[in-house]
Amino acid sequence: MNRKRAIHRTIGEAALGAGLLGALLVSWPAARAIADEAIPRGPHGAATMEYQRKALAKLLPSQDVTQAPKGFDPVVWAAFIPKDNEMTAKRVALGEKLYFDTRLSHDGTVSCATCHDVTRGFTDQLKTSEGIKKQLGQRNAPTVLNAVLLQTLFLDGRSPTLDHQARLPIINPIEMGMPDGAAAVKAIGGDTAYQKAFKEAYGREVNYEDMGRAIAAFERTLVFIDSPFRRFLNGDENAISAEARAGWVLFNGKARCVTCHHMNLSNPLGTDNRFHNIGVSARHQDFEGLGQRALKLLKEDPSESKLEELALNTPMSELGRFMVTKNRSDMGSFRTSILLNIGITPPYMHDGSLPTLWDVMDHYNKGGEPNPFLDGGMEPLALTEEEINQVVAFLFSLTDDRLAAQNQRQFEAQKAAAKASRKFRDEAMAFRKKLPFEDRVMGPKK
Amino acid sequence: MSSRATRSLAAILCVAVAGIIVAYAWSPPSSVAAEKATAKKVDPKAVVDAHMAQWKRKNPARVADWIKEEKERHKIQPPADNSHLLKGEQGKGHAYGNYTERDILTWARETEKLVVEGSRVFHNATLLGGTIGVSCDMCHPDASNTHPETYPKFQAQMGRVALLRDMINWCIQHPVRGKELAADDPKMRALEAYIYAQRKGVKLNYGKH
Amino acid sequence: MKPKRKSVETRYMERRQEFFDSMKGLDRRSFLKVSSAAMGAVLAKGLVPPHSFLPVSVAQAADASGEAPAFRFAYISDSHLYSRDLNDRFARALLRAVDDVNNLDPQPDFVFYGGDLAQLGQAHELDLGAQIIKNLKAPLKIMVGEHDWYLDMGAKWKELFGDPTYSWDHKGVHFVVLMSVMERDFWTKRGMSPMERMQTVAGLDNGVQSPFMVGAEQREWLKKDLAKYPNNTPLIVFSHSPLYKLYKNWNFWTDDAEEVQAILRRFDRVVVIHGHTHQLLTNRIGNIHFHGVLSTAWPWPYAPEGMPKLTIEMSRPDPFNPNDGCGDGEVYVHADGLVDKVYNLWNRNPMTVAKGYTASWGKACVPPKPNRPSY
Repeated sequence: MNRKRAIHRTIGEAALGAGLLGALLVSWPAARAIADEAIPRGPHGAATMEYQRKALAKLLPSQDVTQAPKGFDPVVWAAFIPKDNEMTAKRVALGEKLYFDTRLSHDGTVSCATCHDVTRGFTDQLKTSEGIKKQLGQRNAPTVLNAVLLQTLFLDGRSPTLDHQARLPIINPIEMGMPDGAAAVKAIGGDTAYQKAFKEAYGREVNYEDMGRAIAAFERTLVFIDSPFRRFLNGDENAISAEARAGWVLFNGKARCVTCHHMNLSNPLGTDNRFHNIGVSARHQDFEGLGQRALKLLKEDPSESKLEELALNTPMSELGRFMVTKNRSDMGSFRTSILLNIGITPPYMHDGSLPTLWDVMDHYNKGGEPNPFLDGGMEPLALTEEEINQVVAFLFSLTDDRLAAQNQRQFEAQKAAAKASRKFRDEAMAFRKKLPFEDRVMGPKK
Repeated sequence: MSSRATRSLAAILCVAVAGIIVAYAWSPPSSVAAEKATAKKVDPKAVVDAHMAQWKRKNPARVADWIKEEKERHKIQPPADNSHLLKGEQGKGHAYGNYTERDILTWARETEKLVVEGSRVFHNATLLGGTIGVSCDMCHPDASNTHPETYPKFQAQMGRVALLRDMINWCIQHPVRGKELAADDPKMRALEAYIYAQRKGVKLNYGKH
Repeated sequence: MKPKRKSVETRYMERRQEFFDSMKGLDRRSFLKVSSAAMGAVLAKGLVPPHSFLPVSVAQAADASGEAPAFRFAYISDSHLYSRDLNDRFARALLRAVDDVNNLDPQPDFVFYGGDLAQLGQAHELDLGAQIIKNLKAPLKIMVGEHDWYLDMGAKWKELFGDPTYSWDHKGVHFVVLMSVMERDFWTKRGMSPMERMQTVAGLDNGVQSPFMVGAEQREWLKKDLAKYPNNTPLIVFSHSPLYKLYKNWNFWTDDAEEVQAILRRFDRVVVIHGHTHQLLTNRIGNIHFHGVLSTAWPWPYAPEGMPKLTIEMSRPDPFNPNDGCGDGEVYVHADGLVDKVYNLWNRNPMTVAKGYTASWGKACVPPKPNRPSY
């Protein structure tokens, strides 16, 4: 009897010890997280450029940039590198320098890293971004993480390559505010270090187009696809929780996410690279009126000059891809978001209007927002609360291991926020008691 | 069956049918507003099924000849003609090669049964397990636009290389809003058989989108 | 024989060519001032491609001869409703179509409903449909389809919407609505229940039913109705079945099509607008121009044989979008009675089959071909 009790006690003590150690390990990221709150911040709320560079160095110790990232299909990788901008260490170094250089903005306060902040998921975790003179833009900043894998850039896809996109914010009057490329060249052209770097990287003088190329080359190193989910896909059943596994099943089934958020080993991004109207723009006051006006103008004048006039004078940003293609089918459409690292890039949607992933699920669960251009794939899903939690758990499992600390913090913060308020939830719609378009057509039920 | 038993059976059937008619007649009027007003909701699918069940009870002989009936309703491609195997001296000195007319008939008949069963399931929302009254033939009359010759192919919206049965299951889950069938479910096998049958003669071309 | 009057398309092309010729005379600076880069590109290539202008623009161009469309009406069709508790998707689609039409600015002269409001002709399905389309702002003109009819042989339909066969005049155009889905009795000798009969007809590929027809009685009615109208009257006939013979297996067919067409033959131009086929469909037989309308509920594939030459098939609907290949639309009616048929496809650019296309037997105003096969 005594012997048995002694064994039990030993086992108990061992368990206690293990438990303490476990608790320590679990709380370690949280403990670190507390330390992270002490990040020094500069203009527009971004972490200081110095701090960001150090953080980046920790996240990305040196790698051979001429090879595909580890575990990435080299054939698919090669397809993403433009012929005139092959990856070299010099180009990446130049791009990194430019990425953090606030001299490229008109008032010297904004660099790429301001809105694509290393400490904030390589975005700014704001609804819409803040540029020079504290001007607010109209669109949410997409993350730079894995941007190399996108087929078009900007949420309306108006940029065909990263090289082309990377230099455009420099001359955007709200973002970095340089009047033109020449001004950007002037701002840094006198710096001999830059002159040398450009010569070594591209064999040319400091010039605006190569700025884009270099920044793009640097961004191409930001491949962060090593998530617990990827390990799960590669065979480790226990890499993600049971809840997340159930979420993955729903993602491919009842929740219909995979229809637009393609997720497979050849395309791990979670986007089909297409543009869909899921109704977020419809929540903007004048979206439909503007849309119909734009279509009418286009019909009257196929040369688009009247439309361009309208664009200059009204908030046409909400019309999304339509402004690029002038196709009615693109009205209010924006690119399907990347899902990798989605946990650390709130708030969500092209205007940052959905603060948490629970809000995102509510939006889809009720079939989006009815409007004349709504994508037919948006349907009320009848997901229960448990199923929503499962999909959200899955989505949080898509964050790269190196960013796990941020991810955990976000999970907690978003969970608390969602508990307090779920503005977009509509159970009557989700469970098909009420139908989308019903209120618009038949008037709200008394 | 003795005449007495027959009469008893008829009596029971009459009562059952009458009961169904009475139950139906007593259910609430079928306007939308009236449906909402009453506590008990009329399940329209049940009404449809009740009609059919009632009719089937009245005409048991018709139910038995389901193959003939199904073929009357829907054009079904016949299986390949194997009668050439009876010609010549192929069977001579070949233990397993001695085909007979009976073999040919059995092959044709059994193959046909599965295909015809497939047609039956294909055209029936309830058999498919759907919950919204949608059957395959609504988008695919005579199994058109199913293009089974293009599988296997990678379908990004399904996250993997799809075989025909994967696409069938996707359709069952989404447009038909039913539960996916197991790969070896008799209904899945029948559906595949019917879809392939209707595409007889078309060249294989896997991977075509 | 040289035509005495030039069509609006010819005149447009001539004026366009004149404009481009005058452009060539500009000095470089003036030329650069010209806004649209597109024009420059066209000039540089020396091209004036006929299909590079939108038929819609041509249709709306109010030019000197006053050949702008006289008016327009909208259409919604083939909603195949179940009760909303059973199938929310179909109800939602009809609501969306009504919302589309209510958002048209300006509002159309009327809205035409092309038949198959219910899926199985049940009273609650027809009631639901009536309840939804009652919210259309513009006046409604409605036509019956086979799905509405064969449960109770039209009893509920007539109660809700009146006589299925009727006509009216509007701005100089004579409109006729036919009940063109009559069938020879196939159900009595088989001892079918009403629901069995309905489900047989509801199956597009169900061979037990008989082919659609207008029938002798209605043909007589049609002759009498048209008797007082001269041959140059603009005439538009609404019919659920196509009024020609496309594909018998799917009842894309009217059995007495020749007899009906014979009655219509004396008119200069007749337009037939039909439902049932759930796809982009265009045909012309002699003086009759046939246009199909879209369904809100689901698209049909194209028939494996017998497709009319004029039809530009829409690209295959994507199954991952439940609304693809569906929609509603508008019809612009010209003073001579010919129409521009607009297919308002959801999540696609609208497709217009202009009057010039059928008028020229497919030579002019050719709609753009889709970039994907139709299967």
